[in-house]
Parts: sequence; C-alpha cells; structure tokens
Amino acid sequence: MTDQLPELDPVIHAQARLRVVVALSTLHDGDLLAFPRLQEILGMTAGNLSVHLRKLEDAGYVEVTKTFSGRTPTTLVCLSPRGRLAFNEYTAAVRAMLPPPSEQE
Amino acid sequence: MTPLDEDLPPASPAETMRVIEQQRAAAERKLQPHPMVFFGPWGTAWLVGFGLLFLRFGPDGRVFVPMPRWLPLTVLFVLLLAAMVVSTYLSGRTVRHVHGRSSVKGAMYGFSWFFAFMGMGLTISRFDDALSDVDKGLLWTTVSVGLTGALHMAGGAVWEDRTLFALGVWLTVVNVVGTLLGAGWHSLVISLAGGGGMLLVGFVQWLRSRESGHGGRT
Repeated sequence: MTDQLPELDPVIHAQARLRVVVALSTLHDGDLLAFPRLQEILGMTAGNLSVHLRKLEDAGYVEVTKTFSGRTPTTLVCLSPRGRLAFNEYTAAVRAMLPPPSEQE
Repeated sequence: MTPLDEDLPPASPAETMRVIEQQRAAAERKLQPHPMVFFGPWGTAWLVGFGLLFLRFGPDGRVFVPMPRWLPLTVLFVLLLAAMVVSTYLSGRTVRHVHGRSSVKGAMYGFSWFFAFMGMGLTISRFDDALSDVDKGLLWTTVSVGLTGALHMAGGAVWEDRTLFALGVWLTVVNVVGTLLGAGWHSLVISLAGGGGMLLVGFVQWLRSRESGHGGRT
C-alpha cells in the first residue's frame, strides 16, 4: 500500500452496480440468488439489472448460471470469488477516504 | 477516474458507505428470516403447553388449576404442530429463490429434526410400558427436550450462530435441572426457562437486527 488514495474500481464505483454487488455480498458462500428475487430486492427493472449484471460478469465479478427448475428456465446469480475480493478492496478503499472517526462516541 | 458508463458514482465516500449499509440492511432483511419466525411460535408452544402441564400435573400430583387430563398435552401438541407449519411456511417464503449450499444445509437440518424425533419416539415407546404414568411423562419430555437442546447446538455449529448454540446449551442444562427436580417441576422449568428463553432470544435478536438496519455497524 502506498500513501496515496487507491483508485476506486470503476466497475463497482457506480450507484446501481454497487447496490447489485452489495446485495449479492450478503449471500452466504456457495449460495445463488434467482434473478427475479434480486430484481425485487433492488427495485430495478429487468432490463436495467441485466445490463449491469452483464458488465459485472464481463469483469469476472459475477457468475450467472442458467438452469431449469422443472421446466421453467431460471437464472441464478452470485458473486465470484474475484468479485467478493474486489468488493472487499473497494469497501476498504472507501473507508480509507472517510475522515477518521471522532474519539467521542 | 472516468466512469464506465451512465451509471454514475455516489457523490462522496460518506455517501458511498451510506449506500452500502442501506443496501446491505435491505438485502439481509429480505433474505434472512425474521428471528421471531422460529422463536415466536416454538417459544409460545413451550411456554403455554408446558405451563398447562405444570398447572394440571404439578409436583407430587398437585393440581393447581382443575382441567381435563387430556387438555394440556393436546394443547401442547396442537401448538407444536402449528409452530412447525408457521415457521416452515414463513422461513420458506423468505429463503425461496436462494439456491445452493444454504438450501441443502437447511433441508438436511430440517430432516434431522424430523428423523431424530421419529427415531426417539420409536425407541422410547419400546420401554415406557414398564413405568408409572408420572415417570412415563417425565421420560418422554426430558428426552424430547434434551434432543431439542442437542439439535439447537448442532444448528449453531451449522450456521456458526453463537446465539443458537448458546440456546442449545441452555436448554440442555435447564432440562437436566428440571429432571433432577422431578415431574411437575420439570414442566415449570421447561415452560419458563425453555419457552420463555426462546421468546427472549428471539426478541433480543430482533432488537439487534433493527439496530443494524437503522444505524450501520460500529
């Protein structure tokens, strides 16, 4: 680490994608979330969410699995190990930019 | 730094942290069952069911509140059944659409309750004919509550949940204490310390989840 503030990851450092990554980061390791449920949690349109998931997938941060539950096609989403790492680094970098917490509390 | 697209960055680091905390709390609220979903119905069933057992079949055969013999056990079983249905339905609604490791864990854990109690019932019923009614009742409840304690501890290990584990330890201890005190007292101890304990744990967890939902972590 250098003294300089680290550059924030542009893939995560964006309102909508940040929220997608945060929501997925609350899943336990090894769990996947169905697309419509993620959409409901985030309150995004399906089109909008698809676009952002595609960008996160291209960056290797999100894994998208298409599967069938019975005959219904289901899209399952989770953070990749790399995405989890990137999010942790992003959070640490943002924390480092905050003014130090005041002593009294 | 250049933004990737029209999805603009949050205005400031403080704003970023606020977005993170808010979204995390919202997602956890929607993906994790409310603690009272489990502890509410089960705690109430124990509190009321074992409470009635104590009032009707007190220590040394005392009857504190006159009521038909069949009533306490019937109420206990009906409430336990209701608790199973309610908690399964409500928790299932929350974790629906979460696939993978957690759902496998949850299914195995649920099955272990079902199977352990079936095994217990089939083995105990082989021996209980030889016992007096009082000892028979105590044997069934002490083994059932003991098994519940063990399954709570195991659940704590599965989900790395210290509160759940501690509750299992607590149930195991109060079960032993109640059994040593004898029939009648056992019902009172299980009603208050067991059922009451579950309600208290659920309430405390609920308060904690509310705090983390509003404030952010320290």
